Amino acid sequence: MISISLVILAPLLAAIVILCLRKRAYVLALSSAVISLLGSLGLLFGPGVELILPGLPNMPLRLVATPLTSVLSTMVAVVSTLVLVYATGYMSQDKEKNRFFATLLLFIAAMQMLVLAGDWILLLSAWELIGLSSYLLIGFWYQKPGVKAAAMRAFLVTRSADLGLYIAVFLLIASAGSSDIAATLNTDGTVAIVAGLFLLIAAMGKSAQTPLHDWLQRAMAGPTPVSALLHSATLVAAGAILLIRTAPMLPPETLVVIGIVGGITALITGLIALGESDLKRLLAASTSSQYGLMLLAVGAGVPLAALLHLIAHAAIKSSLFLGAGVFQHSRGSTALKDLAGVARDQPRIFIGFVIAALALAGIPPLSGFFSKDAIIAATMTSSHAWLFVPLVLIGTVLTGAYMARALRILWQGNAQKKTLAGLHWMSAGVAGLVILLIVLGALFPTIEAFVAAPLPGNMLAVGLGLSAALSGLLLGWFVPVRSLMGPLLEKANQGFSIAGGFDNLCVRPVFAIAHACEKLERRLYTAVLAVGKTGVKIAHAIRSSDEQGIDRFIFSIVHRTIRLGRQARALQSGLIHRELAITVIVTAGLFVITAIGLLIY
Amino acid sequence: MLPIVSLTLFLPLLGAIVIMCHRNAAAEKVHKIGIITSALTLLGAIWMWVRGVADPDMAGKGFAQVEQIDWMPSIGAAYRVGVDGISLPLVLLTALLFLLTLIYSSKVRKQPQAFVVLMLILETAAIGTFTALDAILFYVFFEVSLVSMYFMIAGWGHEDRQRAAQMFFIYTLLGSLPLLLAILGLYLGGETHTFDMRVWIENPPLEGGAAMLALIAMLFTFAVKTPVFPFHTWLPAAHVQAPAAGSVILAGVMLKFGTYGLIRFALQMTPEAFREAGVVVLIFGVVAALYGAFAALAQTDLKRLIAYTSVNHMGYVIVGVAIAALTLDPEIRAIALDGSVLQMVSHGLVTGALFFLVGMLQDRAQTREMDQFGGLLKTVPLLGWSFVLAAFASLGLPGLAHFPAEFQIFLATLREEPWAVIVILGIVITAGLYLKAISQVFLGASNEKWKTMPDLDRRELLTLGPLLFFIIVLGIAPSWVLDVVHQTTIALAF
Repeated sequence: MISISLVILAPLLAAIVILCLRKRAYVLALSSAVISLLGSLGLLFGPGVELILPGLPNMPLRLVATPLTSVLSTMVAVVSTLVLVYATGYMSQDKEKNRFFATLLLFIAAMQMLVLAGDWILLLSAWELIGLSSYLLIGFWYQKPGVKAAAMRAFLVTRSADLGLYIAVFLLIASAGSSDIAATLNTDGTVAIVAGLFLLIAAMGKSAQTPLHDWLQRAMAGPTPVSALLHSATLVAAGAILLIRTAPMLPPETLVVIGIVGGITALITGLIALGESDLKRLLAASTSSQYGLMLLAVGAGVPLAALLHLIAHAAIKSSLFLGAGVFQHSRGSTALKDLAGVARDQPRIFIGFVIAALALAGIPPLSGFFSKDAIIAATMTSSHAWLFVPLVLIGTVLTGAYMARALRILWQGNAQKKTLAGLHWMSAGVAGLVILLIVLGALFPTIEAFVAAPLPGNMLAVGLGLSAALSGLLLGWFVPVRSLMGPLLEKANQGFSIAGGFDNLCVRPVFAIAHACEKLERRLYTAVLAVGKTGVKIAHAIRSSDEQGIDRFIFSIVHRTIRLGRQARALQSGLIHRELAITVIVTAGLFVITAIGLLIY
Repeated sequence: MLPIVSLTLFLPLLGAIVIMCHRNAAAEKVHKIGIITSALTLLGAIWMWVRGVADPDMAGKGFAQVEQIDWMPSIGAAYRVGVDGISLPLVLLTALLFLLTLIYSSKVRKQPQAFVVLMLILETAAIGTFTALDAILFYVFFEVSLVSMYFMIAGWGHEDRQRAAQMFFIYTLLGSLPLLLAILGLYLGGETHTFDMRVWIENPPLEGGAAMLALIAMLFTFAVKTPVFPFHTWLPAAHVQAPAAGSVILAGVMLKFGTYGLIRFALQMTPEAFREAGVVVLIFGVVAALYGAFAALAQTDLKRLIAYTSVNHMGYVIVGVAIAALTLDPEIRAIALDGSVLQMVSHGLVTGALFFLVGMLQDRAQTREMDQFGGLLKTVPLLGWSFVLAAFASLGLPGLAHFPAEFQIFLATLREEPWAVIVILGIVITAGLYLKAISQVFLGASNEKWKTMPDLDRRELLTLGPLLFFIIVLGIAPSWVLDVVHQTTIALAF
């Protein structure tokens, strides 16, 4: 109970305190991350808990600590703590540290909420809050050119895909009659197929799967610690985590589609990474491709393999990004041509970078070897092995190739010595993650046993994986990319966008509709005004007809009255004798009339 | 038992009379009276909230806190007020928004007496519309609010205010005539001639073709008021020309007359006819929601943009009510109506905050064209972040006010009429348009022109603070409102 709320509340409260106090941001951030980590460990080693909170009527919010969710929560906590250590150094010169750490902590809290969510409403909320905080983080340097567009793109693409999650959630709640995730996992039949496909759409958006992979590369506009966190254990991980958690429900029809999407992504984004000319963008494309491999594992029906690769990748990719951040600080750029020889400036960081790269390629005894092996073994057991195995192997070759190419470029060149501020913090962060990625492999059997049954070993898979990784590394190191990719290079540099990509297919039609609505709007407005004007015209017509008709009649009465008055006035001349005479005559007349009247009566 | 409903209802009117008696009072004093009166009104509304809607005699059904005095017994009209779970949250929202509007408007120096008096009369009319349980009383309050708003726009509006005010007045006045016919129809159709709305709700007096005619008349009135495409053209015009305070009340309170009436009259008094026509209403709702979102996306004027998002958000309410009318499952009906009522409250808070923010921006810059700004987040961080928060609330981000409401509406929609869930596209379009607005106005390089723009002052913080606070509270813990709403919606039976 306490630990599950600590995990989420510690970073959340720290974010609020930082915003209010506006000082000592990194102390607060680090201590809250450590508390959160302790909470996660408490969940990992403690009994399973479920915390029920008030939500919507008949749909309470739940937080659950199962073996799976507590492993994920620990992963998030470990990686985010190390990234925060690094960020303390990386952001030491930035003026807006408070905002940075507060947003980062909000992000971590949202991610913890996502992995621990036990009901769909909380999961959906966390899912969207991750979108918000990544928008704020990617757009952190909002005054720089291009940054706001990148942040906007990230939020819009993921939110469009989020509609899939909304609909899937509605379908599942409607069919199960409960918003409890555990209860909805019993769904089957058509609902499961359809809901599964909608879940896949949501996961494709968050995990940057083809054709929605483009935003992730643009998201490099944010500070490097952000990229390290977004790309490893958090933002992009959400998609894979969603599919891993719902895997028990997914029917074979949906699994095939998931596998195919993952395989295609591994292929396409692997090629993009290979042809990339910017280190951070290369790593971003690589993230998509590694998540493609995880989706393949889910598609093959072994979500546990995907989980292992997710954990290994989290440590590996964050150390790669953090290393890249040091290189960036050292050379003031992330373009590969500017980074040539940077390895000689920062030899210790480069050693960490090499270890991580080899781990990603799948070289034993590093953790990436075991997880990739598990994925290959998983695809071999699948009923679609003929399709999935080659895709995984090609993905592995590509991984080796693009990492080797990057290492070669970083290594070959001349040193430019420069001292960096905050290097201790940054080195400490990188070192922690590199140690993690080395020892994680040894922990895998324990994790397997803890979450589900241990995975069977497969010597053929080991052989295939190792030879694919080695051949990839050799190709990348010795063969220039131009001859390696040939005509594909240009396409890869354009991100394999089909028909102009997102802009042409989505943004433009939406704006066309919007402008059509605006045009209709103006027409409607003029039409209503015209009706109004017609009304006024009718009123004028009535008024003039009044003036012609009724008014003339009334005025003629008035005129006659006046004339009558004038005639009457003519009688009153002011001459006394004459008026006396008139009075006498009239009185006499009245008298006569009265007399006659009386007589008759 | 103190007649709290009546006290709350007539307090603002009393304040208005007090101000009218002090003809030569200084502007500060006038504003102070206005603020104190509306603060007391808010206390009254909170008191009503504490009393709740659970009437011990009715077991969750019908209305609570009913107060009744004979008025015109010969025709069965009486002064009857009371609340249920649908109207009580709206009363609380109204009282809060009027208090904040009067705080915000305490800078008004142009005829302050008239301004505050109009505001207070408008407050009584608004609370009256939500609490009236007599159709004649309802209609009177409904119309009085219209007149006050007309003078508000015509007197304190912007450049083209006369035309906008006239358009608003004629549109909504013509719009409310059919309602009067429908009320007369319901009166004549019943066995006992009465204007008691509770009787009409308990035993809908009309059926068949007559009920359908009455429904069409009511739908027309409420469609103009809500507003629903294509009867919405008065809205952007009125909003753009109205003063910020007027816009907040118009969007935050008066648009709810339409949707409240839709539930109270159309849904509760002609349920059978509404069920038959439900699909048509649903289509109108879906079209309005999507059209509002798309039209907002094309705007360059920040205030017009927010005005159009109202069409979008109120469209969701229409969808929710239509689903409630269509479904036979009381659980789905409760979900749909819970969502709709919460959406009205959320929209009041969020759009209120947004219109205040635009007003504050316009006070500083004298323009609302988005491309005139840029990088304001750096120059005015408080204003900027408040806008970002309100905008994300408006685009339906979880943890903020709109999400629980829209979630329930969409959930009920998918369960009853799956095709209509297409309306969910609206949340992507609104995301796009708000991000576009944020990036144009607040992000990017700072514009030299606005380097000296001052950030929010105390008065403005006092205005915005409570709204932003409730936006977050309602997003994180909607249950404190939903529990009240749910008590009524779950007991509705058609």
